[in-house]
Amino acid sequence: MRVDIQSLGTYNRLAQEGAEHAAASLTQMTGIETYVDVTNVTLMSKRDVEDVFGGTEFVGVQIGLGGGLSGETALAFDRDSAASIVDVLVPGASAGDDDTFDEMARSGVKEIGNIMMGGFVDGWADYLAASVDMTPPTYVERDGTDVLPNGALDRAEEEHVFVFESQMTAVDEQIDAYIYMLPEYGAFAEMLEASDDHENAIPMDKLTVFDEMTRQGAERAAENVSSMTGIETDVDVSRLSFVPIEDVPNTARDEVYVGTVMEFKGTPGGYLAILFDEPSARTIVDATVPMELDEPLGDMGESAIQELGNIMTSGFIDGWANVLETSIDHTPPELVHDLGTAILSPIAGRLGQSQEYAFLMDSTVVTPEGEFNCEIYAIPDEQKLKEALDSLLVERSDQLEANRESIF
Amino acid sequence: MKTYGGTPTEDRRSSSSARTRTRVGIADFAVTADGAVLTTSGLGSCLGVALRDERAGVAGLIHVMLPTAPDDPPNVAKYADTGIDALVASMADEGAAPGRMRAKLAGGSAMFEFDSQDEPIGERNVAVTRARLDRLGVPVDATDVGGDAGRSLRFHGDTGELRIKSAGDERLI
Repeated sequence: MRVDIQSLGTYNRLAQEGAEHAAASLTQMTGIETYVDVTNVTLMSKRDVEDVFGGTEFVGVQIGLGGGLSGETALAFDRDSAASIVDVLVPGASAGDDDTFDEMARSGVKEIGNIMMGGFVDGWADYLAASVDMTPPTYVERDGTDVLPNGALDRAEEEHVFVFESQMTAVDEQIDAYIYMLPEYGAFAEMLEASDDHENAIPMDKLTVFDEMTRQGAERAAENVSSMTGIETDVDVSRLSFVPIEDVPNTARDEVYVGTVMEFKGTPGGYLAILFDEPSARTIVDATVPMELDEPLGDMGESAIQELGNIMTSGFIDGWANVLETSIDHTPPELVHDLGTAILSPIAGRLGQSQEYAFLMDSTVVTPEGEFNCEIYAIPDEQKLKEALDSLLVERSDQLEANRESIF
Repeated sequence: MKTYGGTPTEDRRSSSSARTRTRVGIADFAVTADGAVLTTSGLGSCLGVALRDERAGVAGLIHVMLPTAPDDPPNVAKYADTGIDALVASMADEGAAPGRMRAKLAGGSAMFEFDSQDEPIGERNVAVTRARLDRLGVPVDATDVGGDAGRSLRFHGDTGELRIKSAGDERLI
């Protein structure tokens, strides 16, 4: 099957508009001004789903969809955000002594969930010119992947799942909410399917191979950090998502990062950014530089991060080159120390000259004790990505799988 | 089961494009007629264009990403040329007149080597913006553009002050 990139873009925009409606409903009902940070559509394997949702605790609702759009949705708040909203919405309700929400609070969450998801679904129904049925909301208060509709994880095991995710944030308060929509795979795949000669089409199976390449790149980069610093590391999240190019900078948090950025030359072309938030950079510099350094991170600290960025970059590239069985040229990694959005904006700008959407591969390298985390963003040039995928033999990745299994 | 939609109902654009927000995202703009503070953060090669008609008491801020729009762009606010037109039109709806507007620009840096050679985007964003404003007869009062650091902006709709934070530094233009 080949995926039509343009239609993936259309659905992403529908999800974004739907989320804006949902955020507007939340604002209207609570008076808390919220906006949609970023909407993306991600193709996830079971492992990706576990990585993304593992270890977090959510309060929210699940609503099933039928009719013109079949699938499942979840609206999830972290517990504190849900408590703030319940406070405004149902002033009498509260969290009990054992930190569970009482009946009134639960029905408040269900009510707001129902209204927000109604707004979310509306635009899809318009676009599809078909009515979309919603099941009554089910209140959920769960950990990690359990917030996802039943069966989503099992389905991800058999085949990848498409996950639409919109993140909403309040302007003046610490409130975060997420909308997840998992369209029924078969039906959605049909909606996306392109004819073979479609110039914007990307073969589905190769896309999943590329997802695996990202993971492999991140794992190599993490191994290199471990051997340089002696700190054990792991790749926490690694996923391939599809976002409007102007949303790329927003995928980094609104804080200052230190790291390196470089440009891939040739096939696949694109950019790689390896970014540490400042506390993480501090930790890693303290672990690698054998002397006391001044606060804040000075030249010494920055050059240690530059060195680390170089090493991680070469690990990442080894991972890719291994899969593609080719050498990959790139510019020397450049040190950067600035706001995350400012760092990613020139990358989005350069790619945005020739493409409306980006395949964003983001991975997070963490340590078991949470000493630091490092965000890796690989953003290939769309045209070059297509060329790379065309020349990539799927057997080669099977070979890779076989090799990895024999190693571990 | 509740059933939603099926037929186009209210104007879908009404809620998403109501420009009452004060936080301006990337490829986005906001207008205030009551002296609100408009903010945007993380400008790298992107450019922030702040316009104000003092007499009408209307101000606007746009965060553009690229200089020139293709035909029929899905989001006009992404580009300097179409974005400025849209911002000016939206301010005019609030009672501002292009002939009385004045502009301040901030952003358009070249963060990386690879973005410093052959026509850096930041520089082109500034050039196209200046040309557009010139054509509309809007004078540019002050600029804080170029360099290699990102910027965050707070534009005071009541006074026209543009406060810029960049690399630990704070400036006012």
